[in-house]
Amino acid sequence: MKRFLAILLAVLVVFSIAACGSKAPEAEAPSETPQQEETTKEGDIVIGVLQDITGVTSTLGKMVQEGAQWAADEINAAGGINGRKIKLVTYDTKADVQEAINAFNRMATTDKVSAVIGPPVANIAIAIAPISEQYNVPVLHFAIDDRASLKDDGAPYKNMFLFQPSAKQQGAIMAKYAVEEQGLKKFGIIYNQSNAYSVSLLEPFKKTAESLGAEIVAEVPYQPNDKDFKTMLNKIVSAGVDAIYAPNYTQELILIVQQARAIGFEGRLICGLDACPPFPELCGPEANGVIYINNITESEPQIQGIIKAYKEKTGNDATNKFFLGYDVMNIIAKVIKEVGDDPVAIRDAVEKLTGFQGLTGNITIDPSTHQTKGLEMVMHEIQNQAPVMLKRYSAE
Amino acid sequence: MSLQIIINGLAVGSVYALIATGFSLIFNILKFSNFSHGALMTLSAFIGYFFAVKTKSSLIPVIIVSMLSGGLIAYIGELIAFRKITLRSTSPFYYFVSSITLGTLYEGIVTIWVGPNFYNYPRFFQSMVVKVGNFVISKADLIMFISSCLALAILVIFIQKTRLGRALRSVSFDRSTAGLMGINVFGIIQLAFFISGALAGLSGVFLGINYTLYPQLGNLVVKGFIASVIGGLGSIFGAVVGAILLGLTETLLINFVGSGYAPVFSFLIMLAFLLIRPQGIAGSNVQEKA
Repeated sequence: MKRFLAILLAVLVVFSIAACGSKAPEAEAPSETPQQEETTKEGDIVIGVLQDITGVTSTLGKMVQEGAQWAADEINAAGGINGRKIKLVTYDTKADVQEAINAFNRMATTDKVSAVIGPPVANIAIAIAPISEQYNVPVLHFAIDDRASLKDDGAPYKNMFLFQPSAKQQGAIMAKYAVEEQGLKKFGIIYNQSNAYSVSLLEPFKKTAESLGAEIVAEVPYQPNDKDFKTMLNKIVSAGVDAIYAPNYTQELILIVQQARAIGFEGRLICGLDACPPFPELCGPEANGVIYINNITESEPQIQGIIKAYKEKTGNDATNKFFLGYDVMNIIAKVIKEVGDDPVAIRDAVEKLTGFQGLTGNITIDPSTHQTKGLEMVMHEIQNQAPVMLKRYSAE
Repeated sequence: MSLQIIINGLAVGSVYALIATGFSLIFNILKFSNFSHGALMTLSAFIGYFFAVKTKSSLIPVIIVSMLSGGLIAYIGELIAFRKITLRSTSPFYYFVSSITLGTLYEGIVTIWVGPNFYNYPRFFQSMVVKVGNFVISKADLIMFISSCLALAILVIFIQKTRLGRALRSVSFDRSTAGLMGINVFGIIQLAFFISGALAGLSGVFLGINYTLYPQLGNLVVKGFIASVIGGLGSIFGAVVGAILLGLTETLLINFVGSGYAPVFSFLIMLAFLLIRPQGIAGSNVQEKA
């Protein structure tokens, strides 16, 4: 009898949970259903957005999504493309490769999107790239790792297109700037051994710096779970370096910069995109003197205007990823205006894109690599915990 | 140079020591490893963080808030998750399962509350470093080291010198006899949980200041486990020695073999201890109830 009661109780609990759950299906598993699906109308142009909205890289993914939405809203408010509205269908990758692959398959097969705005996260884009070959949907992404746009034999994946300078170009720009403009000669490098992004920025920097006569005197890899970098940094600092190159994600970068200062290092730190705002405020006064690379510069009036309007509307700060999403949405709109919303026609047109003046620079796609050609980046220095633009630079 | 490494090692070791004592205390009394300890550190550190952001207060009030909330949550956690198991005196295996589930619950609460991103504590002190001769010591490390020593010293005096401390020792030695002698056994257990939660709060704040705050911060608790195995499960003195030793070896290893292989060696050291001296350095009475 007692056992029967226990089973009955368990069954009741399960059913009552199920009953509660079914009242609010929208709140559950937002990744399964694209947002605002019911509002999709016949005749809308559907663009897939594949971004991390709730995972560990959501600060990046959300910004791309918001930027794309901002551009889409502007275009729709101005009457749409040839009278048709743009409809973004967003899928959350949750920073999980398997989720991303499932979502991508669904976008390409059931949602019939015209194009996909892909992630800035390398491991997801690398996983999507071979799968994209079997469909006819262009993926416009921001993963700077070469493997996200190029096959092993060096030919580009037919549907993958990179819309910011590749790791090769960015690493070269940073090295060129550090050696030529800052006169730095001895570098130490600290990088996350298990992060494709971090590793991809390593070789190009070393190669360019060494070709310009600088030397790399210490190179320290670290593991994803490392939190105490002081001992590793000690090694670099005691080698007598002028500057530390740290192409790492923001959270680790905060620790590295703070701990480098904490062990008394007063030289330059050269960082990738991750040192752009909000890094200076998060890191504190130790961030001063950090040099970093960015797609945009906040001092440009047009960008300032959007940052201000976005802040008023949402209360959030638009970061560089916002403008990447913004530009790519506008590129897609321009292309569709010219060739229509057939994915294959869009793909062919994107491959031939030349001289699109966006907020992140003058964008031309190189058909042989499906990456941007000669796109400039902006070097910044953090002074008084705020970015100060130093110089525009291109890899060529 | 090598002295600098030792300073770094001591700093790391002192946080490990705080973590290790927190659950040594519980192991002492209920003879199980409290796996919810790490998640509790994260939860109370986040409470401290939001208190710091809202009130813009200095470090001391933040620590007090975190310690109090950590203590309270542990107190409630004991009531919900462990009380029934203790009353029934069933297999310690249930403690193990219950503490893991409780830890998952805490971590879930934090993730829902703050999202998967990381946060950084506001700046508590102006300059970050103290220079002693040729050596540079980070202020956060120094304060962390001093407060760890202070907290551990208070704990030891409390356990060794006060009536309540004696009661705590007798409950940990033999619960039922202590009960027969008129000691309020559950009061003492609650006290132990409160203290352990408060230590979790303290270590959480320091971990947050040093390593940024994020929902998985509590995973660092593994280091505390290793430290207490090396030191001797259940011994507070052993936990402290084990933690300092672990901190020092880790930093030395990172310096000599690099960060990739350092965990391998830490693990080997722990294995060696399990094989050669399973009772740990302190060698107190261990029953296999981990």
